[in-house]
Formats: sequence, C-alpha cells, structure tokens
Amino acid sequence: MSSLRLLPRRIFAFVARDFRLFVSYRMQFFLRILSVLTVVTTLFFISKIFAGFTDPQYSQWRDPLASWLTGLAVLNYFMAGFSSLATSIRQEQMQGTLESVLLTPINLPTVIVASSAWDFLETTFFSFLYLFFGRIFFGVHYRGSFFLAVVFLLLTTVVLACLGILSASFAMVFKRGDPFGIFLGAGSALFSGVFFPTQLLREYAGPKLGNISLLLPATYGLDGIRQVLIEGHGLRDVTRPLFTLLCFLAVLLPFSLWVFGRAVRRAKREGSLIQY
Amino acid sequence: MIVSAKPAISIRNLSKTYPAPFRRVRAFFRRPAKEPVEALRDISFAVETGEIFGLIGRNGAGKTTLTKIVATLVQPTTGSVSVHGDDSVLRDEQVRRQIGLATAEERSFYWRLTAEQNLMFFARLHGLSDRLAKQRMKELFAKLELEEVAKRRFGEMSTGNKQRLAVARAMLAKPPVLLLDEPTRSLDPLAAARMRELIRSLAAQDPPVTILLTSHNLAEVETLCARVAIISRGRIRAIDTPSDLRSKTSKLEQVHITISGLNGTNERVSFTRQTGDTQLDTRLRELQQRGARIIDVETEKGSLLDALEMYESKDETR
Repeated sequence: MSSLRLLPRRIFAFVARDFRLFVSYRMQFFLRILSVLTVVTTLFFISKIFAGFTDPQYSQWRDPLASWLTGLAVLNYFMAGFSSLATSIRQEQMQGTLESVLLTPINLPTVIVASSAWDFLETTFFSFLYLFFGRIFFGVHYRGSFFLAVVFLLLTTVVLACLGILSASFAMVFKRGDPFGIFLGAGSALFSGVFFPTQLLREYAGPKLGNISLLLPATYGLDGIRQVLIEGHGLRDVTRPLFTLLCFLAVLLPFSLWVFGRAVRRAKREGSLIQY
Repeated sequence: MIVSAKPAISIRNLSKTYPAPFRRVRAFFRRPAKEPVEALRDISFAVETGEIFGLIGRNGAGKTTLTKIVATLVQPTTGSVSVHGDDSVLRDEQVRRQIGLATAEERSFYWRLTAEQNLMFFARLHGLSDRLAKQRMKELFAKLELEEVAKRRFGEMSTGNKQRLAVARAMLAKPPVLLLDEPTRSLDPLAAARMRELIRSLAAQDPPVTILLTSHNLAEVETLCARVAIISRGRIRAIDTPSDLRSKTSKLEQVHITISGLNGTNERVSFTRQTGDTQLDTRLRELQQRGARIIDVETEKGSLLDALEMYESKDETR
C-alpha cells in the first residue's frame, strides 16, 4: 500500500494516541476551559473601559472585545502552525519514542505532520471556545462569510507551518534553542495586531519598527479574518492580504521543504536523529 | 564467510564514522572540536533466510550502530546494507516493512497508554486494519503470555513484561527479519527459556524468520545461533559456528569421565587432550578393562567467552 494511501490511517493513529494521552489528564482539560473563560471575562471588563473611546479610523476596533477574541483565537492557531511541528518531534525525542515510531514504514515528514495533527484539533477547539464564550456570554457579534474567514485561517496556518518546518529542521539539528519559535511567538503577539491596531505601532514607534508587522504573515491573516468577520467584507475587499499570503506561501513552502530534507539527511548521517 | 545469492541481510564493506558536530564552526571560534568517531570499519557478511545469527562483542564494540544501520535509523558512511534485496538507504521504507526491532529500551513506549493501546498505535502505523491488528495482538499476547497485562498501563508493567511487549511489537506486522537486542535480559529463567523456544520456532516456521540476535548472554547465543560474529572495535574479528569459534580458541579440551566399579563408589577421571586425538578411546578402553562402568563423559572445550577474550586481547596489542 502506498504511503499516500496510508496517510489518513497514520494521521488517525497519532490523533487516537494523543487523544488517549490527553484524556489521561482530564483535570488539565477542564482547567484549560476555565482559563479561556477567565481570559474572555477579563477582556470583556477591560473592553468596557474603552467603550465609546475608539478612534473611528480603526474600523476593526470599534468593538475591542471582538477584535481581541478574534486575535487570540487566531493567534492560538498560528502558534500551533509554527510551533507544533518542532514541538512534536522534540517531544518524541525526549520521550524516547521517536526511534520506535521511525522503525515503522513511515517517513519523517509524515511523522511530523501526523504527530502535530492532534495539536491542530485541540487548538481548533480552544480557539473556537474564545469566539463561543464571547458570543454566548458577552453578546459579541460576528458577521461576513465564515467560509472566507476559514480560508484565511487555513492559508495563514499553512504559511506559518512552513516556518514551523524551518523550526523543526532547526530542532532536529541543534536539538534545542529554537529561534523561530521565540521570534515568531513574541513577534506575532506584539507586531501582528493581536491586541492593538498595527497602525499604532507606526505612529508611536516610527516607521522602522512599525514596518516589522508588514514582514509577518500573521499580520495579513489577522487583517483578512477581521475584515471578514468584524467588518463584513467580501472576497473583493480582501484581495491584498490574500495575495500577500499566497506570495509568502510560494516562497516559504519550497524553501522550508528543502531545508528540512537537508536537516534529516544531516541527522541521519550524524546518527543524532533520536538524540535530544 | 558464507555469501549466498539471496541472503536475508547482506552487509557489504560497511563503515560508519560519526562526524564531529559543528567542527568548522568550533574551529572558527577557536573552540576545541571533538574528533570523529569510527564506529564500524569495513564490515561484510550475510545472514541467510531463516538463520539465527548472533552478534557478540563488548560494550561500544559497534553492535548497536550495526543494528541501527540495518534498521535504517543511521546512515552508513560507506558501504551498503540490504534486506531481501532492498537497500537500507535508497529503499528505507521497504526495508522497515521487512524488519522488526526489539530492544530492552523501556522508553520506546508510551507510559500512560496500556499495552493494548501501545500495540494498536504501532499496528496502525504499519498499515494494519483495526480488525487484523486486534487479531494479531490476541495471538501475540497469548504467545508471549501477556494476556493478563494487556489492559494495564505500560508504566505499571513489570520490566520482564515490558521486554516481552517490545518483542510483541517487533513481531506485529509479521516481518521476515527480526533484530533482537538482548531479548531475555530482564526475564526470569522460565520466561527466558520460553522466549528462546519462541525464537527457535520463528526461525523454523514456514516461511522462516531471519533473526539477528545481539546479546551479552553467551550461553544463549551458543544455544540459539547457527553462526556468530565477534565484533571488536568496529571490526568483525571472526564469523563461524559457535563450536568452530570455540575450537579456534584452543585445540585442547578437558575430558571428565565419571566411572563406578573400581572402589565401589563413583569416581571422576579428568585429563586434557588434543581435540580429535585417540586419547579418549584409549582411556575408556583401559578403564573398562579394569572393570569400571562408564557413567558419564563430559568434554569442556574453550568457550565463546575465551574466543571473545582472545580477539579482544589481539586488538589491544595491535
């Protein structure tokens, strides 16, 4: 049977395994739900301070709670996109299970994709919780095409997953100290407009620092999703962020796969594939 | 050395040197760099289909590196390994379809999952359907006496059961080649005997399973293996049948004859002879002529340990 035909079954194997491991820590699951609710409630009260003070030029920020909740939900997803690939392989290395997984007729890219599948499912659930709690407890309204928002979400996640592949390559060769995770994690939260409009950065920090946001794929992903969900824009209005994300993808996908191939070859040559 | 037309495992001029990591970067920053480590040098041998082949040597001799190269986890520096004709580098996935590796490494399982859940995960990775996987697991749990612990978390299992589960995992997809690394290390004597019986039966079944056995238990290697390779400092020093390896160590053997009838009590007569000479025949005739009844004759040849020591000391004096 070809590897491609077996891919869904293998992804299912990893998801089933991770689900079982996840439910073996039930308390943690309920605590995380509680923490999402706490964050949403806190943001609701903070948003009340700004009620009526929002500058009309920041159209996506008329309802700050809606902007924060979309920002956090999407940031969660983006973080999974670029960190779970590296984390999954690192975790298998540290547990000592990578060797036994690699002894099955499965290739390393499949291991990485499949072992991060649960992360995406879990993130989808918790990201949805931010929006769900906002809607049912605090009356946040979303409009526009959910389908278009999902397209943006998937596209941005794939772009960030390319950075995740670079990050996984780094973890495979250097074993620790993943700079992509650090820069992109902190960078996306600060520069891509999760908590405040990116225009404010340019106003207060000057164009040099402010323009960093233009280099981050998350900025375009968030902008697109908010334009759709908060401003109710259609496809014609969001072509700029969509096109920019496609350009990122065209450059990053082949580059990250090339780097990853080299990293795997190097680790096998050094015999360090299973070391951590 | 036997090299047949279609061996199960074929190793040709295999060498492995682990490169020193980031040597150029360290040199640039004037930091002392580690030296590359030569783990294997110019190894060639073949393992026939259905053969139980032993690999013995001291810690760090290169057994694990060799096993990992066969298992496709490490790439050779030069030379090649093929399993039933598939190259371990060029067709690594096909090679992995044909091998099962069981090590005594406990960390290779998920500790919070049960024995059953662990095996199901690996069965799915092998592409087995859930129905087939369950059927296979049932067979293996029965064969390896693991039925009682099937629903127990791996972390709560005894060391012996963990080891048996590792063997069960290696056999899940019915691979034609098994790489067993000390399969009886943590087993009690009875369980170890049953494991040896299982290994023997696997090699004898139709179609036969080829087994590459790595062990420090020389008695076990001697009992199970048709041929044994002695590996020392990354080089194969000898490959032969256990008895021929022993006789290579020394041409002398100790003979112990237990007799009764001379003084009314059992006595033991011992002497050293050249292997295959006529001394034993002469002594037995003498004893019988004096009215003794021969109860038992034991011979003590050089052991595998002697052979191992001999090659090690040769290497040390090089």
